[in-house]
Amino acid sequence: MMKRFTYLFVVVMIAACSSIDCPVDAIVQTKYQIRNSDGTELKLTDTLTIVSARLDGRDTSLIDPTLYNKGTNISEFSIPISYQHPEDMLRFIFTNVSFKETDTVWIKKNDIPHFESVDCSANFFHDITDVRYTQHAIDSLVIKNSHVDYDKKTVHFYLYPKARN
Amino acid sequence: MIRKPFISTYIRRLAISLLLLIVTTGASAQFKFFSLQKDSIPTFRGFAVSFDLVGLAMMELSDHGQYEGAFRLNLHDEWFPIVEVGYGKANHERDEVTRLTYRTKAPYFRIGIDKNLLKKKHGPNRLYGGLRYCFTSYNVDLEREAFPDPVWQWNTGFGATDVACNYHWIEAVLGVDAKIFGPLHLGWSVRYKRRIAHNDGIIGKTWYVPGFGIYGDTRLGGTFNVIVDI
Repeated sequence: MMKRFTYLFVVVMIAACSSIDCPVDAIVQTKYQIRNSDGTELKLTDTLTIVSARLDGRDTSLIDPTLYNKGTNISEFSIPISYQHPEDMLRFIFTNVSFKETDTVWIKKNDIPHFESVDCSANFFHDITDVRYTQHAIDSLVIKNSHVDYDKKTVHFYLYPKARN
Repeated sequence: MIRKPFISTYIRRLAISLLLLIVTTGASAQFKFFSLQKDSIPTFRGFAVSFDLVGLAMMELSDHGQYEGAFRLNLHDEWFPIVEVGYGKANHERDEVTRLTYRTKAPYFRIGIDKNLLKKKHGPNRLYGGLRYCFTSYNVDLEREAFPDPVWQWNTGFGATDVACNYHWIEAVLGVDAKIFGPLHLGWSVRYKRRIAHNDGIIGKTWYVPGFGIYGDTRLGGTFNVIVDI
């Protein structure tokens, strides 16, 4: 009888092993996909730079082709979303050899404090409630999925640039 | 038209067949397991109250722990219906790394039954195997001092107050109980815990759950009990 319980105890000990699960890549970002007017995926031939005003008044680069080489020949990109600001204001700068156009995008959102464990950093999830934009180079910007969390695969916006001759 | 049966129908039929098989082939053995031994000892053998020292030590030595007591009926020294009631508390102040503060306190309840697994049931010592259903409803306070947004650098507050949560779990228990003198017994138990339902409120997850412990840390728990037979 005692032998059986020894085995049972060992099995329980092995089955009981678990660990603290802080998300390995705990980055909350919004993902944009660039699309043609017919809905097909579009690779951007212009260079895209995205900046936003920081607390100190200087611009912070969210996509900067000179630093990260991210903004050219892209069909999708991810950029940060503020932790706890009711509305993010972003500037989308489209450039190529013949022109430079800047659009301003305002993203309204609700911020939800997200807790995993006292061992994991504080973070925020978000629910996007509205998007407004100017239309110099952007034709439209559509919310595809409003909830923003750790999921890197979810596309939050479809970006439709204006067609140029 | 031929109606295609659902997969669930097959599963249900299979489950019923297996159940019938078990019932018919193992009925006598199972009946023996659940029945009381036939002897001159009466069925009702009194009851015992106990207090857990592990939770008390945790409360004194760490930032979380619980006070816990139990009331156990003794049926023929074989079956022991039990109710365990406790009060769990966590006060994790300003974590050194994440700067998070987590506070909760609430009662919790367990109800279940133990069986004395020893062949000589009426001896002074017992070896228990048992099951518990456990429940707690608790509120969580969470806070962190303001910190700058890593991109925009605006100061950001983080916290929530009185977030209502609840937890249901089951425990498999293996324990021993040894008579010291008179009505006084000492005993310990090892518990394997599995969450069965939960509501973590609006904040994502919870950390310390009264009675359950820290979720994700380990599924094992234990008690060391001072028991008094009454």
